[in-house]
Amino acid sequence: MGNASYLAVAFEGILLIGALVVLLVAVVAGRSRAVWAPIAGASFLLAALAGVLQWIEVENGGGGMFFSAQNLQVIKSPMVVLDGFSAMASIVLGLVGFTAMLGSWDLVAKVGKRSAEFVALSLLAFAGLHMMAATPNLVVIFIGLETASISFYVLAGFIRADVKSDESALKYFLLGSLASALFLYGIALTFAATGSLTIYGVNSIRDFFSETVVSDPGILLVGMALMLVGLMFKISAAPFHQWAPDVYQGAPSGAVGLMAAGVKIAGFAALGRIFVGGFISQIDTWGPIVAVIAALSMVIGTTMALVQTDMKRLVAYSGVAHSGYLLLTLLAGVEGMSAMWFYLATYPFMIVGTFAIISTVSGPTSTSSPIEAMRGLSRRSPEMGWLLAIFMFGMSGMPFFAGFVGKILAFIAAGDAGYIWLVVVATLTTVIGFAFYLRVVATVFSGEDDDTTMIDPTLSSRFAVVIGATVTVVFGIVPWILIDVVRDALPL
Amino acid sequence: MELVDYLPIALLTLLGIAFAGVSLVLARVLAPSNPTPEKLAPYECGIVPLQEPVQRFPVKFYLVAMLFVIFDVEIIFLFLWAVRMDQFGWAGIATVVAFMLMLIETLAYAWKRGALDWNVSHRTRTRRVVAPEATIEKAA
Amino acid sequence: MTIIQFVLLGTALFSMGLYGVITRKNAVLVLASVELMLAAVNINLVSFDAYLADQLHAGQMLALFVIALAAAEVGIGIAIVLMIYRNRQTADVDALSEMKG
Repeated sequence: MGNASYLAVAFEGILLIGALVVLLVAVVAGRSRAVWAPIAGASFLLAALAGVLQWIEVENGGGGMFFSAQNLQVIKSPMVVLDGFSAMASIVLGLVGFTAMLGSWDLVAKVGKRSAEFVALSLLAFAGLHMMAATPNLVVIFIGLETASISFYVLAGFIRADVKSDESALKYFLLGSLASALFLYGIALTFAATGSLTIYGVNSIRDFFSETVVSDPGILLVGMALMLVGLMFKISAAPFHQWAPDVYQGAPSGAVGLMAAGVKIAGFAALGRIFVGGFISQIDTWGPIVAVIAALSMVIGTTMALVQTDMKRLVAYSGVAHSGYLLLTLLAGVEGMSAMWFYLATYPFMIVGTFAIISTVSGPTSTSSPIEAMRGLSRRSPEMGWLLAIFMFGMSGMPFFAGFVGKILAFIAAGDAGYIWLVVVATLTTVIGFAFYLRVVATVFSGEDDDTTMIDPTLSSRFAVVIGATVTVVFGIVPWILIDVVRDALPL
Repeated sequence: MELVDYLPIALLTLLGIAFAGVSLVLARVLAPSNPTPEKLAPYECGIVPLQEPVQRFPVKFYLVAMLFVIFDVEIIFLFLWAVRMDQFGWAGIATVVAFMLMLIETLAYAWKRGALDWNVSHRTRTRRVVAPEATIEKAA
Repeated sequence: MTIIQFVLLGTALFSMGLYGVITRKNAVLVLASVELMLAAVNINLVSFDAYLADQLHAGQMLALFVIALAAAEVGIGIAIVLMIYRNRQTADVDALSEMKG
């Protein structure tokens, strides 16, 4: 148990301590929001810094597996793994969490006494999300998934008296717990088939596949399929996406950025860890299924987004389509991981920024946000209008924005894996997708407007939006900086 | 496996969807439709309920009960440590103490927020307040 | 007693839970069905653990964690259902139709 083992859990540790301090301050000193802002911000930034240290440690060859069963000669059942993959997850989750917290701050300022709960739950949720990326053990992945999900159920229903918020919470809860149960059953069946719950180590799932020729894979197939379905629910890939628009719309605008961005990152990190890290030898089995789900997500997400009138539902359906693009990177196996991390390091910032703008325009506690509310935004608040246009261009995959590079990398990954038909579908949906993104931009810049009230965004949401837009633009113009980095973000 | 290998599954799915669809359409066409509130009740037994059961949600104690269940079940984690107590040594004890402290802190927070207060007065105020925009939309 | 009986029991319970989640109208009963699914998983895990004679007892350990997480989940679930009931005087999931599209 050297220093590296503490570094491996530093992200979770920092966020846990941050959450405990917030609750302690709330108990001892009563309400004082001014204290929680620095605690929450410092926790996320320190966690991201821990991620950078983890990255350096891995670059110097110091990674590995930690917290294995004691008193055994060999690493038998590691609980935490430190590699480029988990270090990258720390950095991305820490920075996205920091930005999303800034975007949520208007909401925190409005919920009064319960703001301590909001901050603590956000911190704990992100700790859980990182657990999903940084463990080779399916048990710990499940615990992380539940930690994050349970926190997010509460955040979705945070405005208790609003009928949309509570509906959103119940829908998220019922479908989320169903997904968790399916995922868990998948873990149980995988355990039965392979005799192991760990991906790496001795007697692990990888050892099982390298030693055994799977001739009669019935139970293993069902296990993998159920785990896949459970995670697809979480990342809202079609046809498991029905909850997403309702939950995004009904949850308070200030909290959605946090939820949506975090779950996307961790869901795909867990998919990468389990299916590329553990089941890579079975890629011929799960590959076609993922390909079909990706195609469905892209088509359904794009077509449904065309007819939306609510901004939050539109972003939800575009998120379904983006899940499809992200799934393309899984098909390429280990080679696709760098494309996945490029996408995951840029797209969540666009989500967070977009929701920060929605929260500014429609109010942080609002549970609906019609696109019409954005009309004339370029004049009512020029910076918000222009930056929303940047996010829309970024999401649509316009050249010179980060979304374009992410999509191209994903398409190349899928093309290399031999799924040419999928690349064709992806290209077509991207082109069709321009329609609804540009519709939003057109509304923002539209000439005639009845509502000329100026919008004065708060400092925190300004920061959130500017950080998001910076990421979108910088990595769109000079993507090779990030591409060079994510090249090493591989699972062990 | 190639994509072609999934053809039987796809066919079976199509067959299942077709069967369910045909049954639904036939039922819609052939069966008489006469929905009444009694038929749509969760427990359809033909008898119209005369009144709502009086106290369906004795909510007074639910917070205490929920907190009890959660804290009660957390003891499971102590069980995991207890079976291997001798091997973990002082590091194990330190971990468990840290875990207990976290539990105590959350309990303190719940206490401070009045979750253990049985004579409820702080909870009645949030009752049935519907956000204005939601009401407008419903009316429209 | 062989492994197959336990697995059948687990599968049957899981299917019943899944059926309940899909068909039940009352949110509390949906919640109960989800708990049934988790209980089914626990039966499976413990029986697989015994069957595989796993030295680390990973299955039993996961079962214990599942119990704790299920308790946390049911706590949140009941709170959400009560919130719904307070706002609408019903816990019928079909009544949740504020949002469409």
